[in-house]
Amino acid sequence: MKIIKQNILSLLFVFTFLLLPVIKIMAQEDTAAGTPVVKLHYYNNNNSIQYVILESSLKKNKVFTPQKNKSYALFLDQSTPENLIGNILTDNEGKAKVFVPPSLKAAWDAAGTHNFIVKEGEEEIISDYAITKSMLTIDTASEDGVRTITVTAMKWEKNKWIPASDVEMKIGIERQASILSAGTTETYTTDSAGKATVELKRDSLPGDVNGNYTLAARVEDNDLFGNILVEKNVPWGVPTTIDTNFFNIRALWTTRFKTPYWLLFMAYSIVIGIWGTLIYLIVQMVKIAKMGKTP
Amino acid sequence: MGNSAIIPADQITRDLLPQKFGTRGVIWTTILILTCMLGAFAYYRQLRYGLVVTNMRDYVSWGIYISNFVFFVAISLVGSLITAILRLANVHWSTPLTRIAEIIAVSAIVFAALIIIVDMGRPERFLNLALHGRIQSPIMWDVIVISTYFFISLLLLYFPLLPDLKIMIENKEKTSKWLYKLYRFQGSFWKGTKEQFRLSDKAINILCILIIPVAFSIHTVTSWLFATTYRPGWDSTNFGAYFISGAFLVGSGAVVVAMYVFRSAYKLEKYITELHFDRMGKVVVMLSLLYLYFNINEYLIPAFKMKKSEELHLEELFTGEYSKMFWFAIMVGMIIPIFVLIFKAGRKPLPMFIIGSMVVVGAWFKRYLIVTPTLLHPFLPMTNVPESFKHYFPSWEEWAIAAGSMAGVLLVITFFARIYPIIPIQETITEQTEHHENN
Repeated sequence: MKIIKQNILSLLFVFTFLLLPVIKIMAQEDTAAGTPVVKLHYYNNNNSIQYVILESSLKKNKVFTPQKNKSYALFLDQSTPENLIGNILTDNEGKAKVFVPPSLKAAWDAAGTHNFIVKEGEEEIISDYAITKSMLTIDTASEDGVRTITVTAMKWEKNKWIPASDVEMKIGIERQASILSAGTTETYTTDSAGKATVELKRDSLPGDVNGNYTLAARVEDNDLFGNILVEKNVPWGVPTTIDTNFFNIRALWTTRFKTPYWLLFMAYSIVIGIWGTLIYLIVQMVKIAKMGKTP
Repeated sequence: MGNSAIIPADQITRDLLPQKFGTRGVIWTTILILTCMLGAFAYYRQLRYGLVVTNMRDYVSWGIYISNFVFFVAISLVGSLITAILRLANVHWSTPLTRIAEIIAVSAIVFAALIIIVDMGRPERFLNLALHGRIQSPIMWDVIVISTYFFISLLLLYFPLLPDLKIMIENKEKTSKWLYKLYRFQGSFWKGTKEQFRLSDKAINILCILIIPVAFSIHTVTSWLFATTYRPGWDSTNFGAYFISGAFLVGSGAVVVAMYVFRSAYKLEKYITELHFDRMGKVVVMLSLLYLYFNINEYLIPAFKMKKSEELHLEELFTGEYSKMFWFAIMVGMIIPIFVLIFKAGRKPLPMFIIGSMVVVGAWFKRYLIVTPTLLHPFLPMTNVPESFKHYFPSWEEWAIAAGSMAGVLLVITFFARIYPIIPIQETITEQTEHHENN
């Protein structure tokens, strides 16, 4: 028994050893060609604009390279001509953006969950990207100096809007390129009523000239709902005052009418001094010329 | 002149009067005209289709045109060095070289101004500088100082030319009809009276004094176009002196090349002697050392501190994409000239010509290295930009325009040497007479 076991082990070892180059060659072939990776991202901004971004790349040696100028066809629910959302071409970053056209409104309204299908030529490369229709609303309250933001997430199911629980999202104030969290944690999750409430902890944030800034709630890459964003303007910021006096002083950065006196004095002194001398020399030249013409 | 043999005045006149182009001259001029025409065609394309025909994009917005501009401004500074500084220092050996230096200065500064207009893309907007220019802007200072320097250089070329115009008018039979008319138009009033000489000498002395601060200003202001911009590689308080030292070096290199070419083409061995090459060789060594010193300052200190923003820029220059060009410019433009010219044998005409050419070529690449790599290393990383924004290599239109502008400079010098004496005749006669009397 022991001998048999030893023989099996030896055989396995030899087999594995012989197989290694084959596995290596296969891996190399895979690596050499690269693996195309196509992803879809659904977006719904302020419950009114729905669009899809397709991202195409080539995975090779663990590096993703964008696939430029690749064409795909995107369908809603079925890959038939009447359900065509659009023919799309990727840009330099391997991305293509397409809006759900008005011609598909009836199909869009007919169901709560939709499937996006991607075809490359005749080949269906994505057929399981399903999105459940959803919406976010944002409400604000201000009591006893305490400001709260309540975001409600709803989903369309059985022909009605029902609360969506356990939806993770960012809630905060829109800044340069992201959302500054309104409270103390990065993200918030909706409860069984589909609500997430945050107490505003950010005092004295600058707003526009009237003190307005934009509150936002964003769900990112949710398996059911995709990417959802809702925004609301509130007058909770500190009004920004534009210092117009900045351009009224005489300084190096102002217009030519506000040149500093010292610079004007220096520049014109030099220019007048040098060009004055040159004019003097021209006069000398004229004198020399006159001397030559006098008999 | 450097040799003790006395040359009769009429022979000096005969030797130095402008000569017609020979076969080589015609071929040379034709090549230059064709290069200029190619540049003009490329510029037509740029006007027709816009700056998109160049490879300049959002990041590299100053490419080969501005490198060329800096190169031309630099080379033009030699007028002030040879004509003014050496004259005021009472150095007489440089007399035969003054006109060569001045015509290099005038032609280079003309094309420096033109290349800026080429770089603008919309040349008609140049007028806006006059209409809406802000004296706070270094661009405005550059326009003022370039036009002033051009005017002074022109006067410095014209005043010493007056006695020679008289000589050429007197030698009517040795010139063509239209040239005779031109000489009469420009200098028929010069009779060579004592009072005329007094006024002319006074004017030349004033110009010699005036041109030095203006020359320093022109290249300092050019350096400030860079140094007032907060960028890796340009953020330096040393830039004015660094640019001026480099300018004197490239200008001297250009004069050496021109000396050799004119000496060979017009058989001027008696006037541009080995002594002139020897002395110019010493000037070039001194200027190479000076420029090398400023280069060490410019690169060693940032490399010692190695601030993050400077690191990538310096790495690209020392060991990266631009390293070959960088070390070529340093070796060819400074190190090799120093080692060759410290030996007397290296200061003979032919080695001097080769070294002069190396200095000029090295200087052109140095200007390219000052302009382009810095623009490719902004403080904020380049993200979400097309791949073409991240690299720069000039398009054929840019090369053609740059080559055309260089041919233009050479063409102006060539035509000047065809029309006027490239070595001052009257000054040569006077100096020889004085030299003879003193001995």
